[in-house]
Amino acid sequence: MTEPVTTAKTVPSARTEAVVRIEGLSKSFDGRTVLDNVNLEVDRGRIVSVIGQSGGGKTTLMRCVNLLERPDGGTVEVAGEVVHSGGRTLCRDLPRLRRTVGMVFQKFHLFPHLTAVENIVLAQRKAGVAEQEALERAVALLRRVGVAHRGLAQPEQLSGGEQQRVAIARALALRPEVLLFDEPTSSLDPEATREVLSVMRELAADGMTMLLVTHELPFAREVSDHVVFVDGGRIVEEGRPQDVLDHPAQIRTREFLAAYGSTS
Amino acid sequence: MSGLFQVPWSDYRSDLFDALGRTVSYTVVSFVGAVLLGLAVALLRLNRAWPARIIAAVYTEVFKNVPLLAIIFLTYFGLASAGIRLDVFTAGCLSLIVFYAAYLSEIFRSAISGVHAGQTEAGEALGLGRVGIFAHVVLPQAVRQALPGTNTMLVDLLKSTSLLVTVSAAELMSEGRLITSATFRALEVYLVISAVYFALCYPLSQLLLLLERKVRAGVPLSPWRRRRVRAARALLAADLDAGANRKEAAV
Repeated sequence: MTEPVTTAKTVPSARTEAVVRIEGLSKSFDGRTVLDNVNLEVDRGRIVSVIGQSGGGKTTLMRCVNLLERPDGGTVEVAGEVVHSGGRTLCRDLPRLRRTVGMVFQKFHLFPHLTAVENIVLAQRKAGVAEQEALERAVALLRRVGVAHRGLAQPEQLSGGEQQRVAIARALALRPEVLLFDEPTSSLDPEATREVLSVMRELAADGMTMLLVTHELPFAREVSDHVVFVDGGRIVEEGRPQDVLDHPAQIRTREFLAAYGSTS
Repeated sequence: MSGLFQVPWSDYRSDLFDALGRTVSYTVVSFVGAVLLGLAVALLRLNRAWPARIIAAVYTEVFKNVPLLAIIFLTYFGLASAGIRLDVFTAGCLSLIVFYAAYLSEIFRSAISGVHAGQTEAGEALGLGRVGIFAHVVLPQAVRQALPGTNTMLVDLLKSTSLLVTVSAAELMSEGRLITSATFRALEVYLVISAVYFALCYPLSQLLLLLERKVRAGVPLSPWRRRRVRAARALLAADLDAGANRKEAAV
């Protein structure tokens, strides 16, 4: 076991500008390469969108940030701490890492046995937040995402859009430094998609650092500072949204965007 | 009909109440033990290490495929002949525990593995540790799943305590046999004993059904959840009032 190269959030300056820094990341499942030498940075206050076909490695890439997936090679650095390198987990305190990184899932994954408010309180209490403060924070967050009137409902009594907004509140409750969104609107109808995107738009306006895997290309164009097109486990093209989405340089990107345009 | 009830029941009242108490004791102790052992076996069965899984599987299959009566005889008479002399209460409870733990472990295992993998992931992503995820995310959902089967087993266990008549455990059925041999009124006595079992089991199973419904509806049952939900309700109400005031002020 070697010590992490940098320790926690103690190193200031330009190096920590990147909340997430991924270098040379590779990952394969049962011999099938899913990610191949991928580099990615998300700077503080920035929004990076990852686009690409299903099965292209986007979600795996995102799941490597909070180590829900352990990469085979490369380096993952979060908030200035190298948490995984060369196939080894260097982070000793995974719960702490995961509180630094909030995550919103495609299928919400709210806890069905708890009310909306309790969903948001649970992890706060485990992180040491006092009961009353945790409750107040939960209510404030529910109001922020526009679901305060449904605070005592069980997840199954909520619409898809409400569930996802509660899930966003839950992820925000630990005051993460970066939020990961894994296709947050892919399970939603257009109305619910609008609700969720409007919440995300507000988060973006508030300066939240976000890494977003999405099929909502117009939304990606609107909010992102940087768009990454992933295909076959590699970053094919990346840059400003207007460049990648409107004037793609790579044939593969053009094909993807053309196919996307024809289906929507 | 006049010939049916001739046993002097008032003479046996206190004996019957003692026997009833013993039946309840056997049931409570055995059920608690069986739940704990069943949970342990279920967790072994879901363990990553294959020897643990094998041991748990062998345990489950053995005790599911041997009659309870045989287990009772083995623990009471069998162990005694091998020099391990257990008193009748210990032997009785032990038999019921090992037998019902096998069934309960199957119910618990399928309930635990039936909790969606996304739930564990959501817990991980929120920085809950392994223990926290199990205690606050997986277990409560598994309990919801396991409750109907577990409740059936509880009522079944209560009825099975009557098999302990074979080792003279002094519970209800043993008392019935005693009264029968004193009065030779088998029909009357066993009708009454059956009625007592029914009077125990029917309200119990109805109560458990009510519990199932409440748990399924997400009603907070534990005091700390109740307190939290009550506090949340107060905060949410205050928040909505404040929101209404803000709107009025804006108009």
